[in-house]
Amino acid sequence: MPIHDQSYRRYGGHREALGRAWTVIAWAGIRSMIGKRKFLALLIFAWIPFIVRAVQIYIAANFPQASILAPTAETFRQFIEQQGVFVFFVTIYVGAGLIANDRRANALQIYLSKPLMRVEYIAGKLAVLMAFLLLVTWVPGILLLLLQVLFAGSFSFLRANLFLFPALTLASFLQVIVASFTMLALSSLSNSSRYVAILYAGAVFFTEAMFGALTAITGSTAVSWVSFSANLAQVVDVIFRLKPRYDTPVPVSLLVIVALIALSISVLERRVRGVEVVT
Amino acid sequence: MTETPAAPAPPTPRAPGFLQASLRIMDLSIGQMLWSRRTIFMALVVCGPVVIALVIRLITSLGVPTRINGAAMTGPAIFGLMIWIFYLRFTVPVLGVFYGTALIADEVDDKTITYLFTRPIPRGAVLVGKYLAYLVATGFVVLPSVALVYLLIVPINGSLGTSFLAFVKDLVLLAVGLAVYGALFAFIGAWFKRPLLIGLIFVFGWEQAALAFPGYLKRFTVAYYLQGLVPHAMPQDSVLSLVQAIVRQTPSLGSAVLWLIVIWVVTLYLASRMVERREYVLDQ
Repeated sequence: MPIHDQSYRRYGGHREALGRAWTVIAWAGIRSMIGKRKFLALLIFAWIPFIVRAVQIYIAANFPQASILAPTAETFRQFIEQQGVFVFFVTIYVGAGLIANDRRANALQIYLSKPLMRVEYIAGKLAVLMAFLLLVTWVPGILLLLLQVLFAGSFSFLRANLFLFPALTLASFLQVIVASFTMLALSSLSNSSRYVAILYAGAVFFTEAMFGALTAITGSTAVSWVSFSANLAQVVDVIFRLKPRYDTPVPVSLLVIVALIALSISVLERRVRGVEVVT
Repeated sequence: MTETPAAPAPPTPRAPGFLQASLRIMDLSIGQMLWSRRTIFMALVVCGPVVIALVIRLITSLGVPTRINGAAMTGPAIFGLMIWIFYLRFTVPVLGVFYGTALIADEVDDKTITYLFTRPIPRGAVLVGKYLAYLVATGFVVLPSVALVYLLIVPINGSLGTSFLAFVKDLVLLAVGLAVYGALFAFIGAWFKRPLLIGLIFVFGWEQAALAFPGYLKRFTVAYYLQGLVPHAMPQDSVLSLVQAIVRQTPSLGSAVLWLIVIWVVTLYLASRMVERREYVLDQ
């Protein structure tokens, strides 16, 4: 019976350059999620609106009778808004356990005992969530724009709406960054991914309910800044050069979003530590 | 030498019956439920409406009238609105999902379900006991919050006496909502390994979408029957709720009550049966 050498051995693998170690965490996370069939089903489901919009663009481009279906800049704005529901579910599925599961398994100390900075750990985890969220927002949005050109056989729509490419990019990234940072911060606060998931859902829907109640009571949408999703909707409207839907000044909504991201970063900075010093 | 007769063995105590076992598990679980970090979440959820009610009361006591498009809004109308938006659409389903799915999943995650299953009690009693504890814990937190909102809001251009009956109806309605959603999600929690996402998809995906479609689709939701019993007008605070109001059909009182009882009994029975029969494999 062979007796394996269990004594100390030097690490024989490849070491990533300083500042690149986050890619290891990101790839491991992405691979682990792709291996889950239920998650793949959710991703496929999230692409159904893309197929519907693609059919709409095809019909509008090829049948003059269906000109009512012709895409406008607002169509792309609506598409990004529709994807919001999938952003919510993907964020919960992927993000809830990202740090919480590591905390539960006491893996954070193991991670941070390696040649890995805290920033790299957070960046790696953030990359996992952002990759999947961009896959259901930015990627289909840009593909739709591309399909419009291909189906129409002309660049006239793109030339007339040249702002759509940066608008889609900015709006998708804003939506994704806010969801990712918030979820990651919540994930760092608990050891239970289920508790994190419900906290995130609670934060989104409770602020929405508060906004709904205050709107109904005051008769004005000026209080939209209390709602997580209303702030995003307000800013994204401006990005797509549309009239903001609520009475809240856009800088206020933007300020709330920036404050939310800053708060999340601060929480991550405090919670992601290799050693907890108890005084 | 005379042999002393052996003392008779003490009689083996009989294993408790289903109801007694359920009550014991409930007794054990109430403390765990109330003194956990979940309570922080529940407190936040139920404190929000109370804080808003307090602010509205303070504003009106300063002489500022609550008006919508120039029309004065009475306290009972604001109270009805808050029941819809905060409690029926948010608090009741969210607490149902959160606690209902956790009844068994928590024990599986913590690997403590084995200790409960080794007790000489029916396995189904574990779930029923925890479900009863959920009802008591959420009821004792949610219903007082509604009462506080009622006491703060209704006296604004309204009278506590005349709207008392509607208030009692609201309390019963919310208790029924907690019971039915809790039973449904207890079943989902006993069935699936990752039940929370399924619960959230049901509440915030399926129910919201189904209520916005005309036809029979909405009959496959709990919200349809629950909302049919609400004594207040449905608010239209968003596009989705506007669409839901347009295609809204209200079931008759008898039909709504009957279906809620059916959903409650069937899902609780199925959840209990699932726990009785299922082999829970704990992650190593």
